[in-house]
Amino acid sequence: MTETRRRIGFVGLPPEEVLAPRRSETLIDLDNLIAGVSHDRDGLLPRTTCHILRRVLHNARALELDEIVVDVGPGKCDGARWLAHVLEEMLTVPVVRTENRNRAGAGTPVCDSDLPLRRKFEVILDGLVGAQHAVPLLQTPRAKAALWGVPAADFDLYDLFPDGTQVLGWTRCLENRTPADEDLERWAPEGVPTVFFSQNFCAKAMLAQHLARIHGGLFVDIDGALARPVRAKIEAFLRFNGAWD
Amino acid sequence: MATLADFGTTWTKALDLATGERRVLQTRDAGELTAEVATGHNARQRAPRDVNELIALAHGARRLISEADFLVLDIGSRDMKYVQMQGGELTRMDWTTTCGALTGFTLELLGSYYGIDYSAAAPSPHTVPVTCGVLGMEQLFELVAQGVGEVEAVARFARGIALNAHRFIGEPARFHLSGGMCDNRLFLQSFPEGTEILPLGRFVLVEGLREEIAGGASSRGE
Repeated sequence: MTETRRRIGFVGLPPEEVLAPRRSETLIDLDNLIAGVSHDRDGLLPRTTCHILRRVLHNARALELDEIVVDVGPGKCDGARWLAHVLEEMLTVPVVRTENRNRAGAGTPVCDSDLPLRRKFEVILDGLVGAQHAVPLLQTPRAKAALWGVPAADFDLYDLFPDGTQVLGWTRCLENRTPADEDLERWAPEGVPTVFFSQNFCAKAMLAQHLARIHGGLFVDIDGALARPVRAKIEAFLRFNGAWD
Repeated sequence: MATLADFGTTWTKALDLATGERRVLQTRDAGELTAEVATGHNARQRAPRDVNELIALAHGARRLISEADFLVLDIGSRDMKYVQMQGGELTRMDWTTTCGALTGFTLELLGSYYGIDYSAAAPSPHTVPVTCGVLGMEQLFELVAQGVGEVEAVARFARGIALNAHRFIGEPARFHLSGGMCDNRLFLQSFPEGTEILPLGRFVLVEGLREEIAGGASSRGE
């Protein structure tokens, strides 16, 4: 039987009123790693483009999409706004521009749960395309560590942290379905060893470094794969701040 | 009893805990040498347990330095890293992630190529900017081509590395130094005047591994 559902890619987190009519179709999060899509450098975007936006373009070019919905507002980034033009003019796929300014929080039970960190990110990202998590969520009364930032290009980052590490920053906003909520994005608990992560070439790096200074955390920026020195810094930071005690 | 080792890019430092014997050998000559616990770029191939260099450096420095407040800089063959402790707590650290060509190995190569005795070479007040080691070497060779003496050119290069390292750690007036560069007199004299440098030698990271033996912890603390 031939699949009749349309394949709709999305960038960032478009508002629910835009996604809802499309939920019966196949939704694909273009920010995420998709098996079989090559992410070799191809010179189509400047080298100073963040890994996630490059991935969006690669995914969009590789997948046979019927439509692409892009959050071009403050819930994503300037890069996505400009990338919408690139997608539109490079591909023959209709591009729908939208802005998610939702402030009605859906809650952050996964971010605050006792799940392993990698699993938390998988559950949160799967939830964007409608998949429901089946695991019961136990809340961590006080996390031993926290990670601030967007979903990383290399999920190996998450294996460096103890189970129950609290998720902060834009990923927390994602679970809450309020990607443009700057107050929530800037929030970090006092006294919890926190790693503030940003992708290389992402404007959020300045916020990450600033917050790390304020909260006595560790700022790291990573381009793609997790490099050994960055891994070492995170391990040492967590170790010497009692995250494994 | 165990062997602890720092399997660096070009040099291996090994400590036999049973005999207390310390060995320094080139990693390419390390043959089948293995250790129970190790650190360094080549540790994973030679030890069942490896500890990351920042943790080893921090633990080792705490064993060797009696003060609760200190900053220790380790200069390896291809990178630099430091940790700063205040009141016994880690407050700052970093590890150069790019352009490792600027560190120990380059000076070693240049010294060997020009036959320079670093214990006798005079420091230079001039500097070759060594933001990138490869570009720095290009400038060094250009100086030689212009008639600057080879020892003077290398001294300027050493000063460039020293100033870069000093900036990297926040330009403190006093710090501890770890690694093979502790034995390079020219390099030690190339830091800004008035900077107090306290060399700890090549076995700081290896000393830090004693903590792992005692605590039985991996680098993730599990």
